Amino acid sequence: MGPLVVNEIISAETNLLFAFIIGIAFGFVLESNGFSSSRRLAGMFYGYDTTVLKVFFTAAITGMLGLLFLSLFGWLDLGLIYINPTFLWSAIGGGVIMGAGFILGGYCPGTSFCAAAIGKLDALAFIGGIFIGIFIFAEGYPLWEGFYKAKDLGSPVLNDLIGTSRGVMTLMIIVVALVMFWVGEWSEKKFARDDYKINQH
Amino acid sequence: MKPLKILAAVIIPLGIIIAAVPENRTRPYKLTADELLTEVTEGRQFMSPDEIAQMLIVKDPTLQLIDVRSKDQFEKFSLPNALNVPLESLLSAEYEEILNQDIKLNIFYSNSSNEANQAWMITRQLGYKNNYVLQGGLNYWAETILKPEKPAEGSPNEEIARYNFRMGAGKALGGGSESVAVGAASGSSAPKPVLQKNKKKKGAAGGC
Repeated sequence: MGPLVVNEIISAETNLLFAFIIGIAFGFVLESNGFSSSRRLAGMFYGYDTTVLKVFFTAAITGMLGLLFLSLFGWLDLGLIYINPTFLWSAIGGGVIMGAGFILGGYCPGTSFCAAAIGKLDALAFIGGIFIGIFIFAEGYPLWEGFYKAKDLGSPVLNDLIGTSRGVMTLMIIVVALVMFWVGEWSEKKFARDDYKINQH
Repeated sequence: MKPLKILAAVIIPLGIIIAAVPENRTRPYKLTADELLTEVTEGRQFMSPDEIAQMLIVKDPTLQLIDVRSKDQFEKFSLPNALNVPLESLLSAEYEEILNQDIKLNIFYSNSSNEANQAWMITRQLGYKNNYVLQGGLNYWAETILKPEKPAEGSPNEEIARYNFRMGAGKALGGGSESVAVGAASGSSAPKPVLQKNKKKKGAAGGC
């Protein structure tokens, strides 16, 4: 009965070991999907490569279906799953900063480490930027503490907001995702570039 | 077939299944029937009236008495500083913080031990810690603390000591009319249960 660590089926240390293994697998999947290419990541913003959208939407759907089926079979207690709390303003502010950094640098934080691992120098510069950002955030914390903690919404979930069950919400997101995939494929043709081929390395 | 079609052929049926089945809202029990039976037969959940009277008198800050009888009965008579959590609303969300915690020793009581024991058994199976039961309930409390029976002449010293403690405790807790300072001499020397800390039920958050 999951979650394993909460129900003391495995220890916190074993949990970290699992996290380590899953982390390596995550990095491997990112890299084999070409997520260490900043051109591929930036392609999301210009429409010529929508792999980012497809991979993350697929991951979300796989995760949603997996959790709901595990819960259905009684193997997982969804009440004990950690849901990241929502602080509305810092979520929006952080999203804007992250998006700006993404399009400027061509990476998101996780993929920059992936790219650095295969020896890309621009990724190293990006990581330097991450640490400068962390330093500024930590040192200037009193300045933005109010903004950071404002509008605490707890852990709202979509299906509660629109008043459906989790399962129906999942089906709706699946439909939305399939439409988005179709739009993505259309966009890749429409905004195709002569100097860029999808799945090039 | 195109990858998009293959994907759609897999996830749409799964989505329809998960949308059609009811959600699993059962709360899992944390103890197996065997484990619970062991605890019940050993009576580990019971705390004697003497132990509780002692904690009340020294104003032990970890003590939290919980009255599981109805609101009416609670208003007519209750033990000092008790909270009322009627048995039928035991599982309501407003009481979860009180029952599932690691700061206080909760002592359930009812008129006999029955309802209190039921409350304890349910919370125990949900995996909550630090919940106990007043042995014998209020009836036994009245017999032992409020109107203790005088031991016969020539009884062993400890029985007389226990009687004296109970007389004093009864007076201090509203049984008699005189106010008497009560010494720490308790008849039972069972150690107070140790508070068990809850494991944090939160994991780290992730991101891309």
